[in-house]
Amino acid sequence: MAIFILRRIGNMALIMVLVSVAVFLLLELTPGSVATKVLGPYSSEEQRQIWLEAHGYLEPLWVRYFNWLSSFVQGEFGDSIRFKVPVAEVLWPRLWNTVVLGFWTFAIIIPVSLVLGVLAGMREGSLLDRSISVTSIITTSVPEFASAVFFSALFVFGLKWLPGTSTMNEGFDPLQLMLPVLVLVVYDFGYVTRMTRASMAEVMTTQYIRTAMLKGLPYRRVILKHALRNALIAPFTIVMLQINWLLSGVIVVEFAFAYKGFGALLLEAALNQDIYVIEACAMVAVFVAAATQTIADIGYTYLNPRIRFS
Amino acid sequence: MPERRKGNTHPYIPELREQLRRGGIDRRDFLRTATLLGMSTAAAYAIAGLRPGKGVIRSAHAETPKKGGNLRVSMNVKEMTDPATYDWSEKGNLGRHMTEPLVRINKDNIAEPYLAEKWEASEDLKTWTFHLRKGVKWSNGDDFGADDVVFNFERWLDPATGSSNQGRFSSMTETVDTGKKDKDGKPVMSTVGSAGAVEKVDDHTVRFHLNRPDLSLPESMGDYPALIAHRRFSEEGGDLSKNPVGTGPFMLKDFAVGETAVYTRRPEPWWGGDVYLDQITYIDHGDDPSAQLAAFASDQIDANYRTNIEQVDVMKSIPNLVNYETVTAQCGVARMHVTAEPFDNKTLRKAIQACIDADRILEIVYFGRGAPGEDHHVAPIHPEYAKLPRLKQDYDLAKKLLAEAGYPDGIKIKIDCVANPTWEQNACKALAEMLKPAGIDLAINIMPGGTYWDRWTTTPFGFTSWTHRPLGVQVLNLAYRTGVAWNETNYANPEFDKLLDEAGTLVNVDQRRQVMAKLEKILQDDAIMHQSSWRSIFITAHQRVKGIYGQVAEEHHYNKVWLA
Repeated sequence: MAIFILRRIGNMALIMVLVSVAVFLLLELTPGSVATKVLGPYSSEEQRQIWLEAHGYLEPLWVRYFNWLSSFVQGEFGDSIRFKVPVAEVLWPRLWNTVVLGFWTFAIIIPVSLVLGVLAGMREGSLLDRSISVTSIITTSVPEFASAVFFSALFVFGLKWLPGTSTMNEGFDPLQLMLPVLVLVVYDFGYVTRMTRASMAEVMTTQYIRTAMLKGLPYRRVILKHALRNALIAPFTIVMLQINWLLSGVIVVEFAFAYKGFGALLLEAALNQDIYVIEACAMVAVFVAAATQTIADIGYTYLNPRIRFS
Repeated sequence: MPERRKGNTHPYIPELREQLRRGGIDRRDFLRTATLLGMSTAAAYAIAGLRPGKGVIRSAHAETPKKGGNLRVSMNVKEMTDPATYDWSEKGNLGRHMTEPLVRINKDNIAEPYLAEKWEASEDLKTWTFHLRKGVKWSNGDDFGADDVVFNFERWLDPATGSSNQGRFSSMTETVDTGKKDKDGKPVMSTVGSAGAVEKVDDHTVRFHLNRPDLSLPESMGDYPALIAHRRFSEEGGDLSKNPVGTGPFMLKDFAVGETAVYTRRPEPWWGGDVYLDQITYIDHGDDPSAQLAAFASDQIDANYRTNIEQVDVMKSIPNLVNYETVTAQCGVARMHVTAEPFDNKTLRKAIQACIDADRILEIVYFGRGAPGEDHHVAPIHPEYAKLPRLKQDYDLAKKLLAEAGYPDGIKIKIDCVANPTWEQNACKALAEMLKPAGIDLAINIMPGGTYWDRWTTTPFGFTSWTHRPLGVQVLNLAYRTGVAWNETNYANPEFDKLLDEAGTLVNVDQRRQVMAKLEKILQDDAIMHQSSWRSIFITAHQRVKGIYGQVAEEHHYNKVWLA
């Protein structure tokens, strides 16, 4: 088990190094634009050259990469061009905001979609199954930007129940979190529900469930003790993948509600060519992707003893 | 040393008064020119028969201001490290509540004394003496004075600072050989401040010695990167957000780029008298205009930085909101790089010009709110604007010119433009539709602002937005003079430069207008740009916000704003 985990972590580190090279090459090959970003579009060529020289941008590419990498592993991600502060000062608070948003989103999605998915899968083809399936398909089909507009029109402009933006500039306000969470839940719960339903429906057709039923075990016990554990393997992987999705999927929601999270930071950094922030965000996203997959792999082995990691 | 005159009045001012009396110039032109030449704002307004802020532009009914309250404003909260390198008016607004300029462009678009109490210009407009306001205190307790002004000007003119003020005050710079050679073996030249250009006369007087006459000097001092920082700004870290020392009425309480900036009123009295607001809070809602709309709808903000043209009517649908329109010399220009193929072909440029209906573009893109462009970048609200016969859309002429240019079967061209604000890409789309019937296929390359501003001076065909500048000569000097840094068309015309020099020396508005007519005609005939329109700008505020107005350069003057 220890070797398995170490191997996974080694793979994760390798992926991150490869991604760091790719991201660095993509973003650092335009030193002229860095000076323009810092000094503004109206700076003269002479002013830009002086800045590039003073900040080491005329050094060879590989020197700059290793300087950046050695700083990066020590937690120094460079200074943001747009924010004019160390990247870490911006990155961690923004990431934390997205974690808060993600926590409440998953706190609703996981129980709701698992319950609905199991209920639908238990009796495939029933009225309940069809109702849940249709609702899930509809909500998943509506893009976040559309549901954000719809819910704003309803709850902000129409009923005037909720605040229209979620900047939290006067401290954490649960009311301001409701619309972003609602949009994310509505978009994503249908997908997890459908996956759970499919998994549950498949388990319900297996021989061992039929045997348990024919043995005369109570239906409730068959579901809870025998079907559920196997039916949850697929949703577990899906939920872990949704964490990756959330990191990038929140961009639309954070943009629409001016929520100051990781997605909004990544978008702002991309639009402003804030190189060090993009690099740090990319590395965080890769780390989260690799880490959740590693956790999923390990968790899988506990949920399904048939899987061996030789 | 210029000859001192009685009462330090510029010799042209009596003639200016006479022109006003005869009706040769209007009151706005009189106010602008008289104040630029150093006449006090109060005297100039009195002669024009007006009161500051009450005459040229309509004002709200007088009410007794109320103290207190927090004004919440939606605006991008950008970094505000160094006022000298500010490149967006939002940054200027963040710095302005703490640091102040020598001169302020007021509600009526007139340069009024601010940290400078008054100024005098020599007859040849090459020597300017600025008298600084006494009794102004920095927030760290120091007295404001000439050392602060000299420090700022020396820093602005140093190329290592990277300030756009170096171009703004180019009449105080010279180009010198650095002694280094570039990769082709040519000497590397550098633009530096002229020796002795900035002279401290005494603790509250600074004299500027210019290489050439510059009537616009006071107005340049009112531009947003010309906020005066403390004389120890650099040695104390050079970061206004971390060491917020200023002369303004507010102090920084909280600041997070991309999120919020909070200012509270300074406890000690401000040199400008009463300040009513307790607090100003800027909230960054990102680049989605609908977020701003939702914030208004749920009463999370009281005012905004800018209302997009598409949202002006939508804002009216929300109760208690008021839109403020300001006529400006802001515009967008679809400009062609005259040394890049195929735009080095003047006949092709003329063919493009012949396809355009400026009135229609104004209607489509800006809902008619503004004035049609005339392809010479001098606005009807510029005092020296000369009216030329309107250009007309003529497809027969366009096709004929296109054939003469060597493209009888049409041509494919591409224009770069930014994604936001949307009116810019809409202007390009309207342009593309108008070019199509003549056989010109215009592709539009929409890109993020950051990408466009990397290439705005080099792209062969690009759509660039230009902000308001009070004088036509300022714009032409910045954008079309041979070899200047912001000459994005690479236009070089000695005759044009000579006339521009002449216009800069003419105080007489009528004479300057006659020269300007020639300059405008040259630009129109050379067809180096298509100008979409002169656009009005809009802000929106809740009706409880009193004393607020849209300033031509989108500056926030909140010192006298109050909440009912």
